[in-house]
Amino acid sequence: MKLPKLVLIAVGKLAAVACRLVGRDAGNFPGLALWTIDKSFLRCFSVDCPVIAVTGTNGKTSTTNYLNKIFSSLPNEKCVITNMQGNNLDTGIGSLLLHHCDMHGRIHADHLVLEVDESHVPVIFKYLKLETLVVLNFFRDQLDRNGEVETLILKVQKFLEHSDAQLVLNADDPNVVRLCPKGKKAHFFSVEKYEGATDELYEAGEGKFCPFCAAALEYEYYQYSHIGRFRCPRCGYGDVTPETQIKDIDFDNSCFKINGEAFTSKYMGIYHLYNLSAVYTAAKLYNIDSKLINDAFEDFQVNNGRMEVFRTSDAELLLNLAKNPVGANMTLRLLNQYKGEEQLLFVLNDNVADGLDVSWIWDINFSIFNNVTKVVTSGTRAYDIAVRIKYSGYDAQKIVPIPDLDAAAAEIFSTGGRKFAIANYTAVQPTRAALTRYITAKEAH
Amino acid sequence: MYPGLLDLYGDSGNVEALRYRCAVRGIDLEVFTHELGDEKRADIADMDIIYLGGGADYEQQQLAEDLISYRKELSDAHKNGTFMLMICGGYQLMGKYYKDSNDKKIDGLGLFEYYTEASTDKRDRCIGNIVVEAELDGKKYKVIGFENHGGQTFGSDKPFGRTLCGNGNVRGGEYEGYMEERVIATYLHGPLLSKNPLLTDYIISKCTGIEQLKKLDDSLEERCRDILLKRLLK
Ligand SMILES: [Zn+2]
Repeated sequence: MKLPKLVLIAVGKLAAVACRLVGRDAGNFPGLALWTIDKSFLRCFSVDCPVIAVTGTNGKTSTTNYLNKIFSSLPNEKCVITNMQGNNLDTGIGSLLLHHCDMHGRIHADHLVLEVDESHVPVIFKYLKLETLVVLNFFRDQLDRNGEVETLILKVQKFLEHSDAQLVLNADDPNVVRLCPKGKKAHFFSVEKYEGATDELYEAGEGKFCPFCAAALEYEYYQYSHIGRFRCPRCGYGDVTPETQIKDIDFDNSCFKINGEAFTSKYMGIYHLYNLSAVYTAAKLYNIDSKLINDAFEDFQVNNGRMEVFRTSDAELLLNLAKNPVGANMTLRLLNQYKGEEQLLFVLNDNVADGLDVSWIWDINFSIFNNVTKVVTSGTRAYDIAVRIKYSGYDAQKIVPIPDLDAAAAEIFSTGGRKFAIANYTAVQPTRAALTRYITAKEAH
Repeated sequence: MYPGLLDLYGDSGNVEALRYRCAVRGIDLEVFTHELGDEKRADIADMDIIYLGGGADYEQQQLAEDLISYRKELSDAHKNGTFMLMICGGYQLMGKYYKDSNDKKIDGLGLFEYYTEASTDKRDRCIGNIVVEAELDGKKYKVIGFENHGGQTFGSDKPFGRTLCGNGNVRGGEYEGYMEERVIATYLHGPLLSKNPLLTDYIISKCTGIEQLKKLDDSLEERCRDILLKRLLK
């Protein structure tokens, strides 16, 4: 027997109140409670505004944050609902909707901007009406949780065949372009060939073969990993004209152009430019003024271990989360772009949320490792990452494995200058905490 | 073979480990690759070692036909004493057949007598750290890896080792893999050779005929192993 909608909503609201009473952050608990009672609990909600969702392996959180910022800055906008904490499964989104709905399950807002896990797109939008879906990319990510990449793509593809959502798709990812159903027009985004693009595949990637005729895909160039201008020589798959293309990229002045208009951004990594291109394309579907888009690009700041900067009196460290090889390669690209000497801190854990397996570190490309004078490794798998870097040909004498994070923080800051840090999923918060503790203690002296 | 398709879970790291441990000893190692769609190689049986990694079901299906066209060459290589290192998918495809999670049966090369069947429940997989006790030239060695397979392999009469922690060939099983003096077929990712330097050296020894390889400073590798073994074999 299924409980009536009103009862479910009431139960969910009570669960949220109960959490608050015992002093807990509700997180995804209320949603989880409803899901346990009724797997189709999302049917209880009715949303009367446009729903914009962002999915893909990498960049969901920051792309969602940009869109939220842009929609919130609209002159007549009263309420934008978004899942800022990365609660991106059905239970997390259910909790968010519970929090904002009335006792009838109705949600009144101007826009709903949601980050959605790739595997949950079909589940969530079976019940919620989706207006716009942004798909950034598909990389290998925590396979144990999601099933293999191909299965995942097929799931989303099947869902989109019966959805009338408008699609904002990465024109340069063969795993994404294929999501556009036959006969439908998608809004493709892209970034023009940049100075770090290569003729050969430089980092491990998926999607080497045409999904329609199995021929090997040909690339004019690779931007990073398997993202680049590709085409199937046999059936022409990949011949798309992007609606948005970031051009005239100027790394020295942190600016670029879209459709002749100039934009400025703090973050200029190539993977980040793709996110910005997606943000622009989605915002333009809602006729948003370029000035508001540029304001968001200019101001945007993250402080959650994604491109976060830590400073001491004589050192500057850039920390970046890496859940997979692509994430780590992004940081290594920045490290190699830096002209002077630097040190690297790599924190690797193998907890359940990390997917237990750390073999993905072997897909990180350490073959270029410019001017790195020392590597400190930490986390529950400090020695695994140390061995991995050693086998890439880096001098083992310069690798210092220190599983304890506080000691590792002290070691990386034992000299001044420029530092980069990479931490995987469960390692990133402890790393932030250890770095902050070190800096606070140092300042106190 | 097929490094583009069979490189799940960092399996390409096995080649990197071989390359590294050869290079620091001044042993020349030349790596040839055969990808799906490449012209057929005639020199398979002249190689010192043939390596196949693991792939997803979809990828294994794609290359099965091409691989079967190498049946004779691979069988000759095996008879000539070419070392064969096969991980996960590579392991499965050398057996009689592999029935995948879509209930699709793929013919294996039939080089060995074992066969593999996967549950159609895609979530039914053996996933986790694994330690196997193998015997390398009469010496026991604890081999560390990470298993992640839906297939259950039956009929391996000469296992690679005894499972000390984890599953192995079948869920909750006692044994893992298949081994001959010059064949190692196993489910262990990790990548396998990065976690087990003595195993890598065993393979290099067999391939080069050098019995006493130069000793290397393996302090990082050994510390890594100590920590993992202590944690896994509690
Ligand atoms: Zn094609």
